[in-house]
Amino acid sequence: MSDFFSLDLTLRQGRFVLHVAARLGETAAVVGPSGAGKTSLLEAIAGLRRADGRIAVGGEVLQDSAAGVFLPPERRRLGYVPQDGALFPHLSVLRNLTFGRTRRRDPDGGTHLEALVALLDLGQLLTRYPRHLSGGERRRVALGRALLAHPRLLLLDEPTAGLDPVRARKALAGIRRVHAELGVPLLVVTHQPQEALALASEVLLLDGGAVRAVGPARQVLLAPGILAQEGGRRWENYVRAIIVRHHPAGGSTEVRLDGGEAVTIPHTPDLAEGADLLLSIDAEDLLLATAPPVGLSARNAVAGRVDELIPVGSSVYARVGPWLAHLTPAAVAELGLAAGSPVWLVAKTHSWRVVA
Amino acid sequence: MAWLLSRRGWRGRTVVETLVSLPLVLPPTAVGLALLLLFGRNGPLGRPFYAVFGFDIAFTWRGVVLASAIMSFPLLVRSARSAFEEVDPRLPAVARTLGRGPWRAFFEVELPLAWRGVLAGTVLSFARALGEFGATILVAGNIPGRTQTLALALFQEVQMGRDGEALKLAGIAALLAALALGLSEALMRRREKTLEN
Repeated sequence: MSDFFSLDLTLRQGRFVLHVAARLGETAAVVGPSGAGKTSLLEAIAGLRRADGRIAVGGEVLQDSAAGVFLPPERRRLGYVPQDGALFPHLSVLRNLTFGRTRRRDPDGGTHLEALVALLDLGQLLTRYPRHLSGGERRRVALGRALLAHPRLLLLDEPTAGLDPVRARKALAGIRRVHAELGVPLLVVTHQPQEALALASEVLLLDGGAVRAVGPARQVLLAPGILAQEGGRRWENYVRAIIVRHHPAGGSTEVRLDGGEAVTIPHTPDLAEGADLLLSIDAEDLLLATAPPVGLSARNAVAGRVDELIPVGSSVYARVGPWLAHLTPAAVAELGLAAGSPVWLVAKTHSWRVVA
Repeated sequence: MAWLLSRRGWRGRTVVETLVSLPLVLPPTAVGLALLLLFGRNGPLGRPFYAVFGFDIAFTWRGVVLASAIMSFPLLVRSARSAFEEVDPRLPAVARTLGRGPWRAFFEVELPLAWRGVLAGTVLSFARALGEFGATILVAGNIPGRTQTLALALFQEVQMGRDGEALKLAGIAALLAALALGLSEALMRRREKTLEN
């Protein structure tokens, strides 16, 4: 756990009190159900809402009520991206983008407008007005606008809310690309554990006005309680991987997952060997076998052990290391699965999706 | 003033709001009487005013202006306030995080988004001022050629039995009012298009 970002805040809104104390690294997510005070917390960090306590980012104190320090929002250098972007409706995309750039001199040469426009694919949009943009486009512009002000930390509020799954994945990919290229630290607020897994390495879990857990993303988010809250929603497993080699004739690409397992994914010639990527696979698409599979068209089998069986509604999630597989109770009974059972996770090549 | 009233949660907001809106609900003649007592040559405001500037307010064209202004101010404030209230509060907030102080956030974001509404309110209150009768007649009297407003002249024509003249004046008043309403309406429609997001 790193010390990049430290927070010890008390927010009051009527009778609702939220106390948050945590130290987080350069990619962190605040996860919690709606109404947990996530947006208010983000606003307090940005200096837009009064809260008691201390905030320090990258060694600089932005607020310390005990010492009478309160930097106003314009001096915090935090890139706040509200839920639907909150673009200025009276300004063109270009003027939205450069709004934060005009007054702040860039200390180290940093980001240029052109590079950012290319990175976020905004070239076609520059002369348009926000009311003519789609939800995804607005968010990209808002992200660019925040980045051009050279923030020391990006604050993203529900970056995929209201987007369909395909656009949501694209949005996540865009944020990851920006983070990889520019190295800007991220603090993401979301109610979707998967989004946190895709973007952050550390997670702060909020519920009922308090911090329920802080720690490495997988450890915090794969806890049974979280899954139960997710209810019947589709669970996507996210995993980082490296391209090992392409097999154009076989229509596939071989990758190594961050746990060391070799896996075959659909052919992705646009990524070079050795390139880093984020993959996802639905819990529905992971099959469990109690013996090494033979005579099966599925190309990927990874050995593991069932860590726990998590009943959610009328189905069961089996957690195998960092993976969740979705099963019916009948299948669990037939295979005689229990915590500790050795299993093989099986997946088709085409069940894997390249997120970024 | 309108911007202040569009903000929530400051002390005294209700008091200021009530004072500003009072002329809207009081009988205009009551407002006129109050103004006459305050600004008459021997009134607590009228006397020092005369001493400093050397002219009267009551029973001059200045009285007409004062009465019209006081009477139409609530209308202006109300429409301007709703114009500011319609601006998404996150927009000035985002401007702050992008390095703007509170004043620049106001002038670069809130005002440009609200100005059509403010202007529509101005037009509307101008139209209202045209028809002001009760307060004006008390503060400024009804001196033909000096403090006679359109509404006052109309009343006089009717009193003198010159219905034709009165009707002409009513026609002019209707025309001006319709123009003002149309303009205000058009401004609001353009504004909705800008805000729609």
